[in-house]
Amino acid sequence: MTIDVSAYVDDRPDEGIFRVNRAIFTDEQVFEAEMARIFEGGWVFLGLEAQAPAPHDFFTTFAGRVPILVQRDGEGVLRAFVNSCPHKGARLAQTQAGNARLHVCPYHSWSFDSAGRSKAVKWQKAGCYSAAFDQQDHGLAVVPRFANYRGFLFGSLSADVPPLAEYLGEAAKLLDLVADQSEEGAELVPGQVTFTYQANWKLQLENCSDAYHFTSAHPSYIRVLERRQQETSGEVVASVWENSDYWKEETQGIGGGSYSFPNGHVLNWGVFGITPAIPLYESAAVLAERHGEGKRDWMFNMRNLTIFPNLQVAENASSQLRVIRPISPGLTEMRTWCIAPKGESDAARRQRIRQYEDFFNPTGMATPDDTVSYENCQIGFAGTVDPWLQGYARGMTASVEGGNRFSDRIGLNPARSVLADSQLCDETLYHAYYRAWAERLGDVA
Amino acid sequence: MTAPLTRAQAEELLFREAMLIDTRQYDAWLAMFTPDVEFWMPAWRSETETTTDPDRELSLIYYKGRRNLEDRVMRLTSGLSTASTPPPRVVHVVSNVLVTAADADIAQVSAVFTCHRFDVRMNRAECFFGRYDYALRREGADWLIARKKITLLNDTIPTVVDITSI
Repeated sequence: MTIDVSAYVDDRPDEGIFRVNRAIFTDEQVFEAEMARIFEGGWVFLGLEAQAPAPHDFFTTFAGRVPILVQRDGEGVLRAFVNSCPHKGARLAQTQAGNARLHVCPYHSWSFDSAGRSKAVKWQKAGCYSAAFDQQDHGLAVVPRFANYRGFLFGSLSADVPPLAEYLGEAAKLLDLVADQSEEGAELVPGQVTFTYQANWKLQLENCSDAYHFTSAHPSYIRVLERRQQETSGEVVASVWENSDYWKEETQGIGGGSYSFPNGHVLNWGVFGITPAIPLYESAAVLAERHGEGKRDWMFNMRNLTIFPNLQVAENASSQLRVIRPISPGLTEMRTWCIAPKGESDAARRQRIRQYEDFFNPTGMATPDDTVSYENCQIGFAGTVDPWLQGYARGMTASVEGGNRFSDRIGLNPARSVLADSQLCDETLYHAYYRAWAERLGDVA
Repeated sequence: MTAPLTRAQAEELLFREAMLIDTRQYDAWLAMFTPDVEFWMPAWRSETETTTDPDRELSLIYYKGRRNLEDRVMRLTSGLSTASTPPPRVVHVVSNVLVTAADADIAQVSAVFTCHRFDVRMNRAECFFGRYDYALRREGADWLIARKKITLLNDTIPTVVDITSI
């Protein structure tokens, strides 16, 4: 497998050029390299600690194509394993989540305790095994690196990675903004939504950070908001968007911007203000007291965060945690949840859920207009007369090294930042994705 | 003296609703619901259980009030939604209709459905299937839908599922 990254990413900052080749989204070899080097060769998000809160609780997920079991043992210690029986390879835990002191493989009854240790090899004594076999460890394969940052669980199938704190770097402070909304931390609202789209995983990566598409892809949703604004009644689903001007093209002045970090982590953000349309409003005073006004105000900003490569936390209309799972170059699975501060009031939770369903669900009124556009892109990527995309150029002369007065409020030190009015819609934040991508794939030979 | 809803009446109503959606007669479709209708498609919380409390748990769709369905129809027909233009071709097959409770003014009806959708944009056909649970309410001479719960059994959503394909 040979990947010449310069054939896919044309990064010439001195000349004001950053381009991405369409083939990066379609090429099978690129996909194989991404699986090997990024998803199965480095830190990926596995889930929230809150998904396995009690002794012996577990949940299952994937690191790239590899099935993963995250399991809490009887003493409360969390570990991550390859969810595959060492005997014949069968997937061990069959459900998304559960509680098990013991996992028994349904194929030949090999069993494992909640710490991943082998409990029994069925009929071992009668099995006429060699001494070499008996000396082998028959426990579950441990994911080589596993770490918990404030309830966000990450794993790496390669041991050759920096510590998680170093990998997250300054972007960890943006996870703090999620975790610190309640003293008890964050949880997932029951009810998971899974959808697929027939396009490359990096389209989801980009769209989360894409301020430019909102008024173009979502005018039907915007029209619904306008109608609701005119005819307010208790029945309508209230949305934070209708109470905010930051995304409207006629809005003047600085309304938000972007930050990018080493290793491909990215945030785009906008000012919503401390408004009752945000479910967190009931905690506005206590959060300011607990964390200071700067950090409180940041919790109320519109924030779309990507922790490269597979975690996105979008706090805008509501609050969504997304896990991106590439299936093939042209097929992606998204597992999505409503993430919420533990202990919020019934009214706030209801408001959060209603806003979530309308905006974020693939059965709602906004996300389908994004994912259908990804599919249109994937079709268009076949056009290689000019293979170089022009979607990475907005904000080129506005991007500066380091942070700005907004990031200073929470002592956040990004690698680069853009301060923007509503029409700038920075695209240089994508550069962080593709620079991280190129670093990871750069020495594939 | 008004008679309780019969199965024949229930079938007539459910089949008519399906026909109106399939033929995109949305105004007539909306007129089949009470103004305070609860329109609910729960999400699944595990392999075997859907969510049960729409205020504390996530649904795929939850609306209280016909007005919200009017919003959905407005979006569908606005020409401003990429995902809805051109509209997919759909056909609903509604079967196993049972009147599970009925008095003079209210009736509970259960049924099963399959909805075949052809997405002309992507040239692909999909099938969605599940159960319906209705509460019907007599309003004058008509029976209207006061509650519709859709339990979608194949809930891994291929890009989009709108109100027309459930």
